[in-house]
Amino acid sequence: MWLWFSKLGSPKWFYELSSKWLPWLVVFMAVAMTVGLLWALLFVPEDYQQGFTNRIFYVHVPVASISLACFPLMAGAGVITLVWKMKLADMVAKSAAPIGAWFTAVALITGAIWGQPTWGTWWVWDARLTSMLLQFFLLIGVIALRSAIESPDAAAKACALLSIVGAINVPIIKYSVEWWNTLHQPATDLTMNENGANGPEIWVPLLIMIVAVYSFFVISLILATRNEILVRERRSQWVMDIVAREKV
Amino acid sequence: MKPHRRKKLTIIAFIATGLSVAVGLSLYALSNSIDLFFTPTQVAAGEVSSGQRIRIGGMVKEGSVARSEESLHVEFIATDYNNDLLVRYDGILPDLFREGQGVVAEGMVADGVFQASRVLAKHDENYMSVEVKAAMDAAERDRADAVPAGESNGS
Repeated sequence: MWLWFSKLGSPKWFYELSSKWLPWLVVFMAVAMTVGLLWALLFVPEDYQQGFTNRIFYVHVPVASISLACFPLMAGAGVITLVWKMKLADMVAKSAAPIGAWFTAVALITGAIWGQPTWGTWWVWDARLTSMLLQFFLLIGVIALRSAIESPDAAAKACALLSIVGAINVPIIKYSVEWWNTLHQPATDLTMNENGANGPEIWVPLLIMIVAVYSFFVISLILATRNEILVRERRSQWVMDIVAREKV
Repeated sequence: MKPHRRKKLTIIAFIATGLSVAVGLSLYALSNSIDLFFTPTQVAAGEVSSGQRIRIGGMVKEGSVARSEESLHVEFIATDYNNDLLVRYDGILPDLFREGQGVVAEGMVADGVFQASRVLAKHDENYMSVEVKAAMDAAERDRADAVPAGESNGS
């Protein structure tokens, strides 16, 4: 267990393993994304209330739910950085922040585009929308904090702490629609519903899109982390070997 | 685990728990302000003073919407199934404004009537195709027409 743990923490090991897995993951993501998008945008039946407007659901929900995974990921990596000082954990955390910020921004924007025709407004300061905006600012804060501190070690520690604090916001976002009254509707219950709503024609394409967007997130994170590894390990022999071999 | 690591982990756990409790308590204390709207029951209980700008939310009561013939004036009853609140509004309603659906209105209470300056539609988390909805409505009608006995076909 501890051997596995320390092996996982080795940037070289991660770089080599991800080289092997990445092509498969990209193919998988491309297939799922194509099937999911075509299905969601062309074949999902017209909603009895919203017509075709709710097809944005198939982009908004996967992006928003995966953006919530970012802070727990960064907080987990932060704890590993602070306690075990594992280099790879901080590289992942650093790479995750901008990706999470983009996912959060896309969730906010698609939400606004969905809100305008259905609710009648782009934005309302309800608990769900406000806490999501706070997550966006917290992620921008983490990115800014990292670039504001010159020493990489000090920056890693400060960002780890801010990520742990920021993760407290995630359950607030998740349960905001249940704890308070909001304009945003509660999460759709995808387990079989006795009143006939959210049947398989609704949730199957959603599931495919969630899998596709999740793969996209993981691929982006792996690519960014690999870049970070090459930059930080540029003085180690194995990176020099790669640079020499690939003539980059 | 080495002692200095265990100590660090404890400190982090302590900070995270302490902060979570602090945030949780503040949010709990602020929950009235975090709520987006007042319910008709809260209005009926006199929780809002008249003339105060607030938002109210509820369901549009079935059969309560009355539109003016020559202007955009519309009146409807917002209900939370315990209390009703009459809402008056001059303006364009969102597309999703329907009887039996959720609504959030911004404005103020005057003489027990809510004068809205803006009306937003709320939609729920249940999505259904037009066909499924039509089939369900038909099944509903069949049940209503059928002899009132426990002869449900389990649909």
